[in-house]
Amino acid sequence: MSLNPDELELAPGFEHENLQGQAFALATEDELRDALEKAFDYRGDVTITRKSGATIEGYVFDRRIAPTLAASEIRIIPRGERKKETISFADIAALAFTGRDTAAGKSWEAWVKKYNEKKAAGETNIELKPEALD
Amino acid sequence: MPVPVSQAWTVATYVLKQKLAGRKRYPLVLMLEPLFRCNLACAGCGKIQYPAHILKQELTPEECFAAAEECGAPTIAIPGGEPLLHPRMHEIVAGLVERKKYVYMCTNALLLKEKLHLFKPSKYLSFSVHMDGQREHHDFAVCKEGGYDIALEAIREAVAKGFRVTTNTTLFDGADPDSVRAFFDEMMETGVEGMMLSPGYSYDKAPDQKHFLGRARTRSLFNAILSNRKPHWQFNMSPLFLEFLMGKRSFTCTPWGMPTYNVFGWQKPCYLLQDGYAESFAELMESVEWSKYGTESGNPKCANCMVHSGYEASAVDYTFSSLKGLMATAKAMFRSEYKDPNAVHRPAPQLVQIESKAKDEVGV
Repeated sequence: MSLNPDELELAPGFEHENLQGQAFALATEDELRDALEKAFDYRGDVTITRKSGATIEGYVFDRRIAPTLAASEIRIIPRGERKKETISFADIAALAFTGRDTAAGKSWEAWVKKYNEKKAAGETNIELKPEALD
Repeated sequence: MPVPVSQAWTVATYVLKQKLAGRKRYPLVLMLEPLFRCNLACAGCGKIQYPAHILKQELTPEECFAAAEECGAPTIAIPGGEPLLHPRMHEIVAGLVERKKYVYMCTNALLLKEKLHLFKPSKYLSFSVHMDGQREHHDFAVCKEGGYDIALEAIREAVAKGFRVTTNTTLFDGADPDSVRAFFDEMMETGVEGMMLSPGYSYDKAPDQKHFLGRARTRSLFNAILSNRKPHWQFNMSPLFLEFLMGKRSFTCTPWGMPTYNVFGWQKPCYLLQDGYAESFAELMESVEWSKYGTESGNPKCANCMVHSGYEASAVDYTFSSLKGLMATAKAMFRSEYKDPNAVHRPAPQLVQIESKAKDEVGV
């Protein structure tokens, strides 16, 4: 049954699959397209293995879908670099979710739980700190 | 008047020029994100969930100026991340001001007081300080106790030094209308020029996926907050957008109204959704299939959105599209009490930290 957005009290959230650590062999076109869409939605780095055997690890920030694999592309910022690389879907042999999901485990409920634990321990100035970047 | 006459005039003449030129789609505010790094870790934020090597990246001032010129919008909002973590933010702001752009630098203000000396007061520059409600509401929303007090001190300092200061407030499920109204009183007392409001958007990438307002609850919440307004409240936003939030008006989305540029490029299609990136503003405008976005499109990612980045531009466009729009805006500005004895103030669920304080006080 489709929902009428004008009648919604709460917006349904997005369900994130637990992809961290998973690897995909990408045997068929459907598997390839599905896995690369997941890479685009993923909140961490992935490692792509080209058909040449070369690998690239980085953050997938864009994908451009076309009718053929040769014309479809993902765009990635390699880890530690500022450049953008474009890779044709047709050149990709394998995909692995090698980086950490940067938002996993940081829900509102997790914050409330942490707050209550720290409060019970008598702590003050309770906060969630951004993770260190190094 | 919540914005200077010169700013209102600049925006009005810009929109009218677009209309006279027959441009159906034009940008109103450039959302410039020079970095994603932040010094807070709010659970509801979908803007900073990136690996460290992406969080370390920054746009250069030159890239920011090129984007501003390419886009051409008269107003530029600088969100992020936290812009004050950018080591050259003062150069970026100064360059945009020099180009006579009206800049809203959005900040959580944790660093504002110590960096204030890097900026010069100008009619073109406003600090838009992120405040999510009264002390306990704000601190809990940004996951940092003490954050409200630091921001409040910075606001007072900036106002005292002659800067334009506004607040921007994002509301999620559980917001208490009475507390938000008391918060408006507190903010106006600090001397800010005006306040901005928006419901939170259900970002796919946000850690928290359970507390975003649906459209029905957004309308009832904002109707409760914004009915029976106090005369001293000033809002630094389109009055027709506020009527839209209250459920008094319908608009379709204008996703191109507030285009976004960041380290990835020009974001498709809007500030909130990430459906890919274009390499130029022209490519963004030409390559996006705009009919696939907005609540009316049936796109489930747009279904619950009532956020300013999609709908405030719609309200501004409506104002300048007809005499009816101008009259409605004038009426909203000058007869803005919105009396409604039936505006419902539903009791909000008690905040966990307020609940624990109450227990402390009674020795539970």
